[in-house]
Amino acid sequence: MNRPDANDADVIVVGAGPAGSCAAIAAARAGRRVILIERGPFPGSKNMYGGVVYPRILDELVPRWWETAPVQRWVVRRSTMILSETGALSVDYRSNAWGQPPYNGATAYRPDFDEWLSRQAVAAGAQLVTSTTVTGLLRDASGRVVGVRTDRPDGDLTASVVIACDGVNSFLAKEAGLYSATDPSNFTLGVKETLALPKHVIDERFGVRDDQGVDIEILGGTSGVNGGGFVYTNLDTIALGVVLKLPKLAAQKKRPEEIIATLKAHPAIAPLIEGAEVKEYSAHVIPEAGYSMMPTMVTDGMVVAGDAAALCLAAGIWLEGVNFAMASGMCAGEAAAAAVARNDVSAKGLAPYTDKLNATFVLRDHKKLRKVPGLVLSDRVQQRYPAFVTSVVERVFRVDNPQPKPGLRRIVRQERKRAGIKLSELIRDGWTGLRGFG
Amino acid sequence: MTVVACLKWVIPRVDDDDRFAGISAADQSALEFALLSARPGEDVVAVSAGPLGAERALRDAVACGLSRAIRIDLDPRASSSAVASSIASAVAGARLVWCGDYSLDRGTGSMPGFLAARLGIGQALGLIDVTIGDDSMSVVRRLDGARREIMRVTGPAVLSVEGSTARLRRASLRGVLAADNAIIDVIAGMSSPIDAVDEKPYRPRARALAAPSGTSALDRVRSLTDAGTATQRSETVVLDPPEAAARIVGALRDWGYLG
Repeated sequence: MNRPDANDADVIVVGAGPAGSCAAIAAARAGRRVILIERGPFPGSKNMYGGVVYPRILDELVPRWWETAPVQRWVVRRSTMILSETGALSVDYRSNAWGQPPYNGATAYRPDFDEWLSRQAVAAGAQLVTSTTVTGLLRDASGRVVGVRTDRPDGDLTASVVIACDGVNSFLAKEAGLYSATDPSNFTLGVKETLALPKHVIDERFGVRDDQGVDIEILGGTSGVNGGGFVYTNLDTIALGVVLKLPKLAAQKKRPEEIIATLKAHPAIAPLIEGAEVKEYSAHVIPEAGYSMMPTMVTDGMVVAGDAAALCLAAGIWLEGVNFAMASGMCAGEAAAAAVARNDVSAKGLAPYTDKLNATFVLRDHKKLRKVPGLVLSDRVQQRYPAFVTSVVERVFRVDNPQPKPGLRRIVRQERKRAGIKLSELIRDGWTGLRGFG
Repeated sequence: MTVVACLKWVIPRVDDDDRFAGISAADQSALEFALLSARPGEDVVAVSAGPLGAERALRDAVACGLSRAIRIDLDPRASSSAVASSIASAVAGARLVWCGDYSLDRGTGSMPGFLAARLGIGQALGLIDVTIGDDSMSVVRRLDGARREIMRVTGPAVLSVEGSTARLRRASLRGVLAADNAIIDVIAGMSSPIDAVDEKPYRPRARALAAPSGTSALDRVRSLTDAGTATQRSETVVLDPPEAAARIVGALRDWGYLG
């Protein structure tokens, strides 16, 4: 083993996203020498995220974070929308308590949020290096990871521990052999448009005021490609997009921009965005298979966190990633700092990282919901159930006088048959959902 | 002796978001030439007049291998004359002072000239090519009407270069890490005896162009682009020099280049 004090740092964190910055904060606060490497000119500069951040985990790292964090709107309305071709069924919940400290979730521009979080890491003592891409791992004779190679001249850096937070396509985790073969069906393609509207128009259309915001998650509306849609309100823009299962998208030979255009034209969506100007169009791959696609989290001299560890929860009603990234980063930083202090950075010495993940919501949620991502992206949930549910509601609320009102059981039975759903499938999926969500 | 690179740090957005701030390609070329033209033992110094944020550009410059950096604490709206006076007081005695030919905000471009006057040394501005020799430099200056001026620079001078003249080297990782803790000298800016009281934004001068000929839109587009017109085929002829010269003059006249 090389001498720790001869290293350039105790801990190198690769990627200054939410996971990386939280790892750097935790390790630096534990008194370790930390270098945080970011490929963009500033943290968040490469980001296309348009979603809701749930920063509860920051209570521990950045007390009263809501006073300084760059937030667009505090989400006070959560809506789950099921779309058929022309119909829409929404379950909508509003809580004004979510718009007050200590808050619940917020929409944010990640270039602002990530940059803010990285400043907390620098304030904690980490050294941030930007515009620098890590191109590979350095290993000693025994194969232990002892540092990273970057694209800069004289660009090798050594450290006792490397924390890989390099995102969904983590080349470092792959190089370290932590992933088995990549399966495209584990990934979705997230495609997003940022649509500009005056703030007062957004307030009126979404029924909010001041810094209150809305989160709409959509099932259906993706032109037959398995996935989902979303609409989030920022201060004077709307993030609207779809996530699309990669093999289905490739098999159906549909263009993502055409699917977004179809969603924008849906009768339930079009009035919300009428007159908006497209300011951005972006796309990114998302690890959506949850627990079943996760890599080995630890190897000698290295741990992996955030999207790089596939810690993204896509469980239908819960679509969360940033909070899992921040929590896993924090655990990684703490475990790395403790391992350096014990002078044992072997996989065994770093194992407390996995223990921490297992003890918190990070892996407990993923384990509990391990079958839900597959259920949510199945053909039944994606195609047949939305048609079934919207047809039932359509008939329940349609007044066909002079005909008397039909019985609800009869409508459900008829529409289930019409949608081609077997009762056994419905029971099985219901049981899977109940076990996951229950 | 000292070689100096003058850098102008600019936020190129109306919302004052300094994450997008930086220096122009021309300033980057100036920095590269400062590094290339320094003789063994000479200090290479970067100077920037501006607010605290300008130190980021100076640290990036230090990471490329500079000896030290100076920030002149000056309002970013200060006139070129005031900037030149302040820089001159900070770099007096320099052998070479390299500047970019333009900044990111497309200012007046007059600072290098003012600086040469304040320092009392020569100037070679608007350079499009630089060849550095042991004792002198050969430089090419852009003149009006597509003309060029080739000059030899032997003594102390202010030189301004265009962005295409050099590509700034990529700083080493060790340089970047060290620059993070480098000490930036900060000195107070000076007022200038000559100050601009008003400065208009960059507006290229309008030029009168003749309308394209043709009655239809298609004809006018063809006229503008020369599309579809027969191109003059090249021809090789072997003639005695007097006849060859006469032939060339005749061809140029036929093609409309001579009156």
